[in-house]
Amino acid sequence: MRVAYYPGCSVHGMARDYGESIGLVCKRLSISLDEIEDWNCCGASAAHSIDHALAIGLGARNLALVERMGLGCVVTPCSGCFSRLTAAAYEFGRSDALDNEIEGRLAAPLPRDVEVLHLLQLMIDSVGLDRIAAEVARPLQGLRLAAYYGCLLTRPTQVTRFDDPEQPTSLDRLLRALGTETVDWSHKAECCGAGFAASETDIVLELGGQVLESARDAGAEAIVVACPLCQTNLDTRQQAMKNRSGKDFDLPVVYFTQLMGLAFGFSPKALGMRRLLVDPQSKLRAMGIR
Amino acid sequence: MTVGVRRPFMIGRGGALQLEVQAALGFDLDQCLECGKCSGGCSTGAMFDYTPRKIVQLVKLGAEDTLLHMDALSICVGCGLCHDRCPAGIDVAAILDYFRGKARAQAIRLTRSDVELFNRLFLNRVRTHGRISELPLMVRFNIGSKRYFKDYGLGKKLLLKGKLRLIGPRVRDKASLRRLFEGSAAVTPLPRPAPATQLEAAPEAGKGE
Repeated sequence: MRVAYYPGCSVHGMARDYGESIGLVCKRLSISLDEIEDWNCCGASAAHSIDHALAIGLGARNLALVERMGLGCVVTPCSGCFSRLTAAAYEFGRSDALDNEIEGRLAAPLPRDVEVLHLLQLMIDSVGLDRIAAEVARPLQGLRLAAYYGCLLTRPTQVTRFDDPEQPTSLDRLLRALGTETVDWSHKAECCGAGFAASETDIVLELGGQVLESARDAGAEAIVVACPLCQTNLDTRQQAMKNRSGKDFDLPVVYFTQLMGLAFGFSPKALGMRRLLVDPQSKLRAMGIR
Repeated sequence: MTVGVRRPFMIGRGGALQLEVQAALGFDLDQCLECGKCSGGCSTGAMFDYTPRKIVQLVKLGAEDTLLHMDALSICVGCGLCHDRCPAGIDVAAILDYFRGKARAQAIRLTRSDVELFNRLFLNRVRTHGRISELPLMVRFNIGSKRYFKDYGLGKKLLLKGKLRLIGPRVRDKASLRRLFEGSAAVTPLPRPAPATQLEAAPEAGKGE
C-alpha cells in the first residue's frame, strides 16, 4: 500500500520517537509512506483561531502537493494536523468566495479530491485488525491500558468522519488485537489542553491532570495516544502536576505505534521508548520485554 | 444533527450582528434551543467568563463589544465538544474564531497576552520557515513574555532525551508561503496598549447565571 505521508512538525521534533515507531510498524505491514515533498506546517490552533482563510490555505497547499504526487490519499499521525487537513478538504466547494480566495493564494486550482486519513484510521479501515493481529509475535498480555483519543481525532463528526465523537472504540479494539486489556474510563475523548502547553500552562495542568487522574482511577498502567500533542501534554507535565498538587501519577504515555511495535517483536529502544519522560521500561522489563 | 425547530417569537428578529455571523459561518442561530449542552460539555467552560450558551445569546443580543473583549476568546481550546453536542448544529468554537479574528483586525488585544504572543510567534515562524521547531519558538516566547526561565528544566530534560532539535527544517518554496499570508493580519504585532482603556464592562449583557 502506497500513501502520501504528512508527518507534521512534531514528528520531526519532539515526537521523533513516534516517527521511529511509525517507520518500523508501517514497514512490517508493507505500507509505503511517501513523505510529501516540501510540506508546510498545518498552522495548528494558531492559524484558525485568528484567520480562517489562512488556516484553510495552509492545509490546501499541502493537499495540492499530494495531488501533484499523483496520490489520492494522505495519512498523518497527528490529530492536530489531521483536524486541519480534514477541515481544509471539508471547506472546499462550500463557499465560492472562500474557494476563489484560496485558489488565488495557492495560484493553483483547489485540490478537491484528496482523502485525508489519520494513521489510526488507516490501520483500522485499510490495514484491518486481522492483518495486524497476524503480525503479533509477542502478545502484550496482562497490560491494562487507557486508550486516549483526545478531542480532535473524532470531532467534529461531519469533518473527521471517524469513529464515535465521544465514545470511540477503534484504538481500544486495536490494542486488544495486540493482546492487551483496555479499561473503561470517562476521559477518553476529553481535551488535554491542546495548544496551550506554552502560553497557558495552567490550563494544561488542569485538563491534562483530569485525564491522568481518570485513567489512573480506572486502573490503567499506561495511557496510549495517537497524537504528539496529547503525548507531550500528558507526559512532560506530570512533574509540574506533582509539584503543584502533590499528585504523582507516574503513568507512562506511549504512542499506539510503539505498542504495535512491541507486539510485533521490536525492542523498546528501537521504538524510541527511552525518550519518554515517564519511563515505561521498568513495567516492560517486569513483563520480560527488553 | 439539525432538527427543524423554530421558535415563532424569535424568527426574523436577528439583529445586524446575528445576520453577519450567520452569513459568515453558515448556521442559523435562531435554532438555538438554549439547552446548554454546549456549556455542559465545554472543556474550559468552568474558566470562561461567558459560557458557550451565553456566547450564542450575546451574538443574538448584538453585544459585539462584550464578544470582542471576553476572556473566552483567549482560553477556548477548540476541542469541538460544543459543536458536536449541539442539536441545532451551531459551532460555538467557530463563533469564537470569528470574533478573535475580528478583534485582531481591529487591534483589540486578547485578555491573555501570552496566548496572543504565542499565536503571533507561531504563525510568524510558519510564514518565514514554513515549519515549527519547538526550541526556537520556545526561546522567542520566553523572551517575548519576559519569563526567561519558563520550562528551563523541562527543556534541558527534553534536550537530553534527544527530543529537541537546535535547527529546524525549512520549506524551500518560500514564495508560496508568502502568498498564503498575503493580506493576513495574523502576524502583524499589535500597537502598544493605550493605558487604562481595557475591558470596560459591556453594558448590554449581564454576567452570571
